[in-house]
Amino acid sequence: MPRNRTARVAVLGSPVQRSATSGSSSARSSAFRRRVVVGFLIVASLVLLTVSFRSNALDGIEGAGVSVLRPFEIAANRVAAPFRDATTWTRGLFRAKSQNRVLTRKVEELNREVAGYKAARAANAYLERLLQYERAPSFPQDANRYNQVAAQVLTSPTVFDQTITIAAGSNRSIAVQDVVITADGLVGQVTKVEGDVSRVMLITDPDSAVRAVDEREQSAIGILEPGSPGDTLSLTSVGKDKTVETGDTIVTAGSPGGGKLPSIFPANIPIGAVTFVGQNETDIYKEIQVQPFVDLSSLHSVLVLVPKATKPAKK
Amino acid sequence: MIDAVKAAVVLFVAVVVQASILGGYSPLGGPADLLLVVVLSLALLRGAVFGAVAGFGAGLLLDVANLSTLGFTSLLLTIAGFWIGRYGETTARDRFHAPYVSVLVVTVLYAFCALALRFVLGERVPAHAVLTGLPAGVLWNLILTWPIYGVIRRLFPPVDAFDRTYDVRLLA
Repeated sequence: MPRNRTARVAVLGSPVQRSATSGSSSARSSAFRRRVVVGFLIVASLVLLTVSFRSNALDGIEGAGVSVLRPFEIAANRVAAPFRDATTWTRGLFRAKSQNRVLTRKVEELNREVAGYKAARAANAYLERLLQYERAPSFPQDANRYNQVAAQVLTSPTVFDQTITIAAGSNRSIAVQDVVITADGLVGQVTKVEGDVSRVMLITDPDSAVRAVDEREQSAIGILEPGSPGDTLSLTSVGKDKTVETGDTIVTAGSPGGGKLPSIFPANIPIGAVTFVGQNETDIYKEIQVQPFVDLSSLHSVLVLVPKATKPAKK
Repeated sequence: MIDAVKAAVVLFVAVVVQASILGGYSPLGGPADLLLVVVLSLALLRGAVFGAVAGFGAGLLLDVANLSTLGFTSLLLTIAGFWIGRYGETTARDRFHAPYVSVLVVTVLYAFCALALRFVLGERVPAHAVLTGLPAGVLWNLILTWPIYGVIRRLFPPVDAFDRTYDVRLLA
């Protein structure tokens, strides 16, 4: 090999204006820089993760950040709305035909039942007055106890995170534990409140538990928890002696009268329909699977029930 | 500098779209992860450091947008961006299959790492839901890769000459 060779030979034709020594040193410094940058970013992520997980110290920054992002999310939602609506409409169209037959039959049955219920309801109201019976709040019967705040949904739940962000916060008097619903039924409860946004834990979140009852069999009271698969719910703690049937409607049970720890959910909010009822000899309770009425994966807007009575602001 | 500004804009748009539109949809049972595809495309075209920084920033922004635990997504995307950046620098940036292989592998690893990280943090680990949705998620991400990588490649044309030269060793 001649001693006076050039870098041009070594790089197969592309000219390089540096010596072998400087190239090697450059490679080393580049690798060092790369490791430093990545190491710093990983450490920063871990620090953020630890601080965010263990305390609320970063909540203020997070709240400010989400306020900045909010207009962009609203704009993106508006842009996507026609496409989303078109998808929902097409899907609904295919579903509607098959549902129509089922529902027509059901309407006929229900009309017959309603006639009976009307008489029973009148009798019930009379007896309640007679006994001066005190009820826990229920919705929509006690709608005047709540201010209803309508809010747009900014982010959707993911498989990891069964929460949504809504475009209303403490500026609309929303507080932690306020109940969130749609026209179809229960959605969840507020778990975090910032100035103009709030975080809502859905009823499918693993930390969610709702006292619920079978609307037809009022003694079948249980706790509604997330089931498996993820978009279903499981009504637990219902005794084997109770009669729960597939198709029954599950509603919030509210609070038993005079309880020191009342349920945050008012009674009678529809939650879902029973899709499976089973029991085995080893379990002491029934196994009941419930499909929520609300399609929690594609919420556009929700209603937050803000109690009118003054309560300490929680955050 | 121009690359950084362009990347910031692209990532910001991707975060907004991911958080407000794509996040809640799981067609065929699995969600598409636009942000992951964008970060991997940037990492392939601009290298490990750029990919790691892009992943960190984008992940942080997504965590803020979802009001979730800060640092969770940024940790995963930093590692993904760095790893695929190194893959691009050392092996396969110019190959046709590079973005598809990167997205395929990282989508699967990302899902498992997210599950593992949740387990470490003591949160719920929805392994069944994640694993059953994974094939659809991989499919959507691969479908997204074609247009997204094309757009990113136009915005960030390859600059191979600068970052490949240091791999050459002159023998005495």
